[in-house]
Amino acid sequence: MRPCEKACEEAHPMNETKNDIAPDAGQPASPHRRRMLGAAGVAFAGLAASARASAAPAASPDAQVTDAPQSTHTQDRVPFHGRHQAGIVTPRPAAGMVASFYVLAENRADLERLFRTLTERIAFLTQGGLQADPDPKLPPAGSGILGPVVQPDGLTVTVSVGASLFDERFGLAAKKPKRLSPMQSHPNDALDAALCHGDLSIQFCANTPDTNIHALRDIIKNTPDLLVLHWKQEGSVPPIPAVPGQPAESARNFLGFRDGSANPDSADGRLMDRIVWVQPGGDQPDWAVGGSYQAVRIIRNFVERWDRTPLQEQEAIMGRRKATGAPLDGGRTEHDVPDYAKDAEGKATPMDAHIRLANPRTRASDANLILRRPFNYSNGVTKSGQLEMGLLFICYQADLEKGFVAVQRRLDGEPLEEYIKPIGGGFFFTLPGVRDERDWLGRTLMAA
Amino acid sequence: MTVQFRRHFLATFAVGFAGLYAAGAQAAVSPLELVGPISDYKIYVAENVRKLATDTRAFTAAVKAGDVEKAKQLYAPTRTSYERIEPVAELFNDLDKAIDSRADDHEQAEKDPAFGGFHRIEYGLWVQKSTRELDPVADKLLVDVLELQKRLGALTFPPEKVVGGAAVLMEEVAATKISGEENRYSHTDLWDFQSNFEGAFKIVELLRPLVVKENKAFSDKTDANFKVVFDTLAKYRTADGGFETYAKLSERDRKLLAGRVNTLAEDLSKLRGMLGLN
Repeated sequence: MRPCEKACEEAHPMNETKNDIAPDAGQPASPHRRRMLGAAGVAFAGLAASARASAAPAASPDAQVTDAPQSTHTQDRVPFHGRHQAGIVTPRPAAGMVASFYVLAENRADLERLFRTLTERIAFLTQGGLQADPDPKLPPAGSGILGPVVQPDGLTVTVSVGASLFDERFGLAAKKPKRLSPMQSHPNDALDAALCHGDLSIQFCANTPDTNIHALRDIIKNTPDLLVLHWKQEGSVPPIPAVPGQPAESARNFLGFRDGSANPDSADGRLMDRIVWVQPGGDQPDWAVGGSYQAVRIIRNFVERWDRTPLQEQEAIMGRRKATGAPLDGGRTEHDVPDYAKDAEGKATPMDAHIRLANPRTRASDANLILRRPFNYSNGVTKSGQLEMGLLFICYQADLEKGFVAVQRRLDGEPLEEYIKPIGGGFFFTLPGVRDERDWLGRTLMAA
Repeated sequence: MTVQFRRHFLATFAVGFAGLYAAGAQAAVSPLELVGPISDYKIYVAENVRKLATDTRAFTAAVKAGDVEKAKQLYAPTRTSYERIEPVAELFNDLDKAIDSRADDHEQAEKDPAFGGFHRIEYGLWVQKSTRELDPVADKLLVDVLELQKRLGALTFPPEKVVGGAAVLMEEVAATKISGEENRYSHTDLWDFQSNFEGAFKIVELLRPLVVKENKAFSDKTDANFKVVFDTLAKYRTADGGFETYAKLSERDRKLLAGRVNTLAEDLSKLRGMLGLN
């Protein structure tokens, strides 16, 4: 028996019962997981962390080159039903992807068929199960890349709609969420039309990229007359060792800095209601309650140049210590909060540092909080022989104007722009959740 | 279709007709019922390759005469007979590459000495605007087309290749044609689309009596999708029976075609199994 098999067997009962991750804002998910890891002890926690990245633990002498990496998390299962879609306040796993589609449906009946088909596929993919192929003369039902029994692997699939879905095709113009517009260009952007906008976006998040790819291929296969892929971007975040008893740390981006340090607490349901979820009683259409605005940006990083920039300059540009993530005015960790009131002239944290512009921490800027959910992307080599990599930035907010748009306007002209170039993305509205077996994505929109 | 797959087929097609069957789980269609449609398809291919030979003779003659304008006029119509029978024409990997490869199939692209056939001539006519250098390419193209005619005449048509050919055509359009990359110098792609759809639809038509028995809804859906495709392309017909350039294809129609082609590819991928073929 290999070391991992022993550990996996011990962990197995827990997988069955406790690996479920709650998607709803009211049920804090990450503390739940931390408790579980703490209870399981150090050895298991370390194993779990590495398995999440699907990296094999130290191999036994008889291990073979092509043995599959082993994971204790293939049975992670995020509930599909809820007031909100999963994949927004759900703790971010290692692998993410955003795919943007054109909708080919030509009438409302076809659009409803699209939403119902997506609902049915996502319910299956996120919960897992057997995909049978009774007739070998026919093409298999799915790609089979996860084997005949689809493992949920922490998968969430989050469906959002773009402003263009509210054009003349479906008579939905009057139903458009109030702040939804096509993503506009900012001064530092060099947007590529082939990487922008779309009628519908689907965000996939899972423990491994293969699970996301499996889900994408399944959806494409099941909607050939309803969707055509427009663009997609995959990304990942590097796992870190789990240290029981210590608060989790934010993952690093491709600039080497922690990204997400000051993200609002996604386990705080009331906070999420304020920042992320569209609430009843505002000026938003009723059907949109429980949904959220999604902003996606594909932001290229000029990493070679960044790596040739002095450390103190990097830190001044970002506004944090690179090693620890601590703010520049003191503190030891990323969780320490900078006090800009005591640094009104920007002596410790420059006035144009990224984190200070993004969140000046004033009473007024409290209205501009957003929930970030970014992944790092790496796409190959540019014509100039440089790395084409950067950030697949994703954020959610209850008000796109007050959220991403206001934050990005403050960031326009920041010193960091010398090292980054947004090239794609789009604005979308994430549909409210699917409440139960009879409900379907987009039902409230179509009924409105 | 992979090279390996093709080789495998070429080695085994001589085994013949009945041997290619296996007792399918849902095969209500008997092998004998396919004899008629396959024979009819062979006639269709023979007619097309005959026309291809005739047209290629005229096309290459214009090239060799240095008549750029005439050669440009003949380019797209000449290709139509090839595009209609592509699933069987490309069973011969060497000829398909010689006749119809694109610059990016070659490591040095347009400069590659191995780049020949229709698209090398297309490059000469539209980009170089000259027939200089094209004489040997034209000679070779005609020789290859005549060789294709000879080989197709001797070919025992494997039913699973014919039935599967409808899906193959849609896969090719979906993967490497819908973007307008095939005729990148002349932008005559809509001619090719029409021919690919005609070729696939011919197979569907010949098999319709059998398919209807198996699954009428499938047959109706496929016919409806072909109708949308043909109706969409018809909007781009010109008065002389040809087609507008690919650039005229609206973004919306391009997406619509892509969706229908994907749907046809998805549906037609079940045709072989439905008829109990391996």
